[in-house]
Amino acid sequence: MAKKKVDIKKLARDFWHGKPHGERRLGELYEDKTGLYKHREWRGVKDTLYYFYMIWLYNYIFMVKDIMEMGGPLNFAKGVWRYRWVGQTYLPVLHWFDRGMEGMRGEALRASAWHYRGMVNETIRQFQRMFVADTKLHGGKKTDAWYHTMAHNETVWGGIFYPWSDHFDNVAMEMIPYFVTCHVNCHTVHNYIDAVQSIGLPGDPCPMCQAESGLFVMDDMPDYAPFMITSNEACDASVATSILQDWFYDKPLFAMPQPMQFDDPLVQQHCRREIEECWKFIEEQTGVPFNWDQLVKKLRLQNQLQEFEREKWEVAGKTSSYPINGVAQALYRIYYSQDGDRAIWHFCDKKVRKILEKCVSKKINTFPKTRHRVIAWSCAPLYYSHWCTWAYNCWGLNVIINMDSLMFDMSIRTDTYDHCLDDMATYHMWAPMRRMAVGGMHHIFELWEYMEKFNCDFVMMYDQLQCKGMQGVHGLFEDEFRTRNVPAIWMPHALPDSRTVSRAEIRRIVNDYMTTVMHEEPLDPSLLDFDDSMSW
Amino acid sequence: MKKGKCCKCSLGRKLGRLIAKLLGLILLGNVALFIVFFFDLDGKLLFKVVEPLLKKHYDNMDRKDTLKAPYDMDKYPSYEYEV
Repeated sequence: MAKKKVDIKKLARDFWHGKPHGERRLGELYEDKTGLYKHREWRGVKDTLYYFYMIWLYNYIFMVKDIMEMGGPLNFAKGVWRYRWVGQTYLPVLHWFDRGMEGMRGEALRASAWHYRGMVNETIRQFQRMFVADTKLHGGKKTDAWYHTMAHNETVWGGIFYPWSDHFDNVAMEMIPYFVTCHVNCHTVHNYIDAVQSIGLPGDPCPMCQAESGLFVMDDMPDYAPFMITSNEACDASVATSILQDWFYDKPLFAMPQPMQFDDPLVQQHCRREIEECWKFIEEQTGVPFNWDQLVKKLRLQNQLQEFEREKWEVAGKTSSYPINGVAQALYRIYYSQDGDRAIWHFCDKKVRKILEKCVSKKINTFPKTRHRVIAWSCAPLYYSHWCTWAYNCWGLNVIINMDSLMFDMSIRTDTYDHCLDDMATYHMWAPMRRMAVGGMHHIFELWEYMEKFNCDFVMMYDQLQCKGMQGVHGLFEDEFRTRNVPAIWMPHALPDSRTVSRAEIRRIVNDYMTTVMHEEPLDPSLLDFDDSMSW
Repeated sequence: MKKGKCCKCSLGRKLGRLIAKLLGLILLGNVALFIVFFFDLDGKLLFKVVEPLLKKHYDNMDRKDTLKAPYDMDKYPSYEYEV
């Protein structure tokens, strides 16, 4: 038998630069079912060492540092022991990085990782603040932190609390115990969905509402604040969540639901009034008056984040030098625009700006194997937010932008109280899942404008099977796709619940479309079919 | 004079050895960490040992029966503000 000739030159080149895209066979790195790596990817000397030192080691070290600085290791240990959502989810956080950044190289790897670092820091801040203030972890004692923390639904924008941000902190009830967990470890949330169904709730409402209520049914919500502000999470099913939260949390509650209609001056007036009422409620509960100067200061800082976002979009739309991958773009943007201004976002943006400027000035093609520029529309599968990374590696589908990123495209005026309140009311009304998901035809069909603006030729249409709002417009989109001759894949999913449509099923749907409709060959055939059913 | 030189030499040698040892330790630490990183040993430990233990703990925890809490709808005043 003839011996296979070893190409030493090629081996050396692959060692130094990493294998070229078509030869990587990333699917062969996984252990069957668990999604663990037999070994992590060799990306060439420079990028492997960058990943090792500046992503893996850097983030482990800074996670420890964050925990030490924000409440200390004792509160963290108590929290891990008491709450499933933190213990089961956040320990394997570096695997979340791995999944999001598979196959990335150079500036795309660096910029995307900074986005993840921002989210990790802010996640630690939130859960550590909960644990420091939590009466359940401190023998029922109401600490100073308890009196100085405000609780709210995750879709109540953090900006509502800016006027008190010099003396108080606000933490969303569900952002960390529910929303972020689904991305990091998709199994944790099943416990909460099952819990709420076990008390008789039917299985067909949105599983987000189910999971958020389930946290309370399982008594897994820290008691970290004296009162709470709720909304309808811009979704009818979430109204029921608020009722269950009111029952189980048993605290003074101010409900500030997003209106079912908007783009209407009367509704705008109503919303302005509700925000002012909310501020009065907070004044009454805290005994601390509204601080206009603090509100202006924080809004201006938040506007800086928005201005940089627009610069990023400009690069994304007009060049092939945008260094942020689809999942980092989507998660970072929705996280900070909902959470509100925090120092970490400015820190990360500064790092990303440097990378962005380098990419533009040197005209670096950050995703060189792009075959299609994709816009992702509607609400994404939380348990498979990193599908974009897989789709680029496997098919060259490069997700440039997504709906959630575009929702809060506004700066808030701070020149007068009246302008400010007007804009804040609009921001509140443009909540996640409201403006472009169930916010009326005009906003849902902004897709076509954004396709043009971001120079996209392909649509990934998320199909949240339990979202009654979006189910109603399915046919209208189908008609438009045909009329406009736009290639579009419907990606079914059940938001946080990975049991309804598995990740493997999502991949199969994309694979089928790419082979049968687009007649394309995969860039990396090893990624076509693999079993990651037990993976985080 | 001669004696002093010897002292300096031995101090220099000791310092050199210490630095070499430190560098060796740092190198060894880096190699060990790189092995953990490259072979995903952190992931394997968390997936196969830590998570199952924690899950077992959470599954067996005593929890408050939240359904037994009364739903006091009138416990707090209704908030109606004139603005």
